Amino acid sequence: MKRFTRAIGGPLGAILLLVVLMSLAMIVAGTSPIDGFTALFGGALGGVNQIGETLVATSALLFPALGIALAFRGGLFNIGAEGQLLMGALFAGAAGAQLNVPGPIGIVALLLLGALGGGFWGAIAGWMKARFGANEIIATLMLNFVAAYVALDLVSGPWRGPLATGAETAWLDPRYWLPTILPHTRLSLGIVVALAIAVALHWVFTRSVFGYDLRAAGEAPEAARRSGINIERLTWISLTLSGAIAGVGGASIVAGELHRFNTQLSPGYGFTAIAVALVGDLQPLWICVAAFGFGILESGGLAMQASAQVPKDAIHVIEGLIILVLAARRYVSTRTEAATS
Amino acid sequence: MATALTLESVTKAFPGIVAVNAVSLQLNAGEIHALVGENGAGKSTLAAIAAGELRPDEGTVSASGPVGLVHQHFELVGRLRVWQNVLLGREPRRGWRIDVATARTRVAELARSNGLDVDPDAFVDTLPIGIQQRVELLRELDRNPSVLLLDEPTAALAPAEIAAFFATIVKLAQRGTAIMIVTHKLQEVIDYASRVTVMRHGRIVERIDAKASSVEAIARAMVGGELPAVAERAAIERRPLLQIRALCAGEYERTVDGLDLDVQSGEIVGIAGVEGNGQTTLADAISGALDYRGTIEPALAKGIIPQDRHKEALVMNWSLVDNAILGRQHGAARRGVTIDRKRAASDAAWIVENFDVRATSLQAPIRTLSGGNQQKLVVGRALIDKPPFVLAYNPTRGIDVGAAALVQSRLMEARNRGAAVLLISFELDEILALADRIFVMYRGAIVGTFDRAAADRSEIGRLMAGAR
Repeated sequence: MKRFTRAIGGPLGAILLLVVLMSLAMIVAGTSPIDGFTALFGGALGGVNQIGETLVATSALLFPALGIALAFRGGLFNIGAEGQLLMGALFAGAAGAQLNVPGPIGIVALLLLGALGGGFWGAIAGWMKARFGANEIIATLMLNFVAAYVALDLVSGPWRGPLATGAETAWLDPRYWLPTILPHTRLSLGIVVALAIAVALHWVFTRSVFGYDLRAAGEAPEAARRSGINIERLTWISLTLSGAIAGVGGASIVAGELHRFNTQLSPGYGFTAIAVALVGDLQPLWICVAAFGFGILESGGLAMQASAQVPKDAIHVIEGLIILVLAARRYVSTRTEAATS
Repeated sequence: MATALTLESVTKAFPGIVAVNAVSLQLNAGEIHALVGENGAGKSTLAAIAAGELRPDEGTVSASGPVGLVHQHFELVGRLRVWQNVLLGREPRRGWRIDVATARTRVAELARSNGLDVDPDAFVDTLPIGIQQRVELLRELDRNPSVLLLDEPTAALAPAEIAAFFATIVKLAQRGTAIMIVTHKLQEVIDYASRVTVMRHGRIVERIDAKASSVEAIARAMVGGELPAVAERAAIERRPLLQIRALCAGEYERTVDGLDLDVQSGEIVGIAGVEGNGQTTLADAISGALDYRGTIEPALAKGIIPQDRHKEALVMNWSLVDNAILGRQHGAARRGVTIDRKRAASDAAWIVENFDVRATSLQAPIRTLSGGNQQKLVVGRALIDKPPFVLAYNPTRGIDVGAAALVQSRLMEARNRGAAVLLISFELDEILALADRIFVMYRGAIVGTFDRAAADRSEIGRLMAGAR
């Protein structure tokens, strides 16, 4: 029994367990696991187009996951990345439709607008926590709904594009589209921005005073406070930055793939990203790997539905299982540690 | 004499350590037995095994009746009344309801018959530590135990409370209860115990007849050799340095009220007092961790040794290197917006070298170190920048004798180089050993001042208990 739990504790054991659970999910859905996995990986990696789509999903998950990691490392459970991403996308989409500057400047401006929108949304939660001691989990979660309805309201009315058929803004001028980096796919420069943010964040965590303060506050708040860290200030700064990174992700979807803001632009990237951040152990470089893994699930899931008749929802079951396995891993390792001390 | 409790070659291992190793022990009805040893020697584990809270890996435990254990950190429900705590889980019932009248009478009677004065209707969190301990004791006594184990029972008590506590204990023993006290206060062992069992590294290393022994002999048995010496006090000129005037502070209520205090360079000022008289508030106000009214002047670089190293001084998952610069990351260890990693590594190495911190590596998580080694790192970090003012709050609490001697030596050396050291300690012996001047703190104010030469233990003890 001890051996069994220890095996789960290792990452290899976790992956093995996942494969078994995924196979079970496929069997329940009425498909042989071999067909299921073939469809999944074929759909995700079977050609340039497929790889491109996988990387698009990777990029969409990577931004919010990095933002979430920043907040989590500081001990703040930001589960509002979905709303922050949406606000970033809304800012970029709404302002981008009005923009009239040279292309490169416009693209940078769009991404910064995304950071502004997401940062603003994160800052609201940060302010509520720092000023009134509001629970950031509740605040960020609820702000997701506020963001969704604010966005819906604005793009149904004042900000709706003149030719739009649904709740969306006008299209961006092609000058402001993020360049495609893989020919014949939708993969845009956004993923490079995301990877750059990951590297920057890695540096922030390991080298900077801010990262040191952030990690101290996350690991040992009282010791951090006594070491001269202003916890209130750190709280709103980190929630703002966390939201800003998710917001850039929203802008990247707008400028890179959709070329307009649409209320349906995220199928819950901000929530899946929580799992991505945790699978990546809150370490930016590992989060890149985890985002790729989830990207495979996201884009391969569609192919699996089409060719192996496994419903796309099975992917959500699998994502749920991943979180369960992770939680179990944490539980196992904390239990072994508790027994040691 | 009848045997009340027998431990037969009991062994208990935790991953990485054998906490209790083949220990055999007998307690006789009516005796007061002392179990002593350094931190980590296995005393508390042994007590938990004896009380049936832990199951031994090997060996047997047999008792002639119920075994009660009073923990060092009380396990009371603060928001319940005294009688509710005493009878928790054993409440007398009338149908499906608790029979409150019977319960209250039963607790009042129990308190009276044992000479433990306490109001059954008081809420536990409103009671001082000494009274809370009586509640804890009553809860065990209600089960009419034939063996009573007490883990560090006097750690938080004033001298007068200690005397009252032992009066109760002696009475219990006379009625035939076997009593074992786990303690590090060796004078109490000599005064009250009949037999002493000394543990070291999980084993019993010596069994001593308390009446024929001395504090020094027991201490040597605990350490397994001679006691380490503390640095000499050098003659040094003193100059006024820190003035505290009319200090009022407190987190929920005002626990420091109009306190005045001067600390001079080149001296150790000791604050003597029973736990819970505002020492934590005073330390937090000086540390800058708590808002206050009044003045603490001038603003100085301060080396702070907080009371709770796990919570207030260290990030337990971090390495020695990262912990070595905590509190200095905005000052000495900062380079622009980055952490000066080289400085961090060399400072950690310096502390390890000069403060005898024993660790497998500088990159090891600090939680893997023993309490004494963790504390040595905290003290080294507080002193590394040679601050003009040092605040040490219970700096040797819960660490082994060797580490404690090193910490005390380094504080003395800081004084000898001209630092002003403020030592707040619940251990009167520590204050008497180190301080140049002694201030007695009671209910948030200074109630007495003594020069080292004129310090009188019994007078200080009286003031600590609130006598005028």
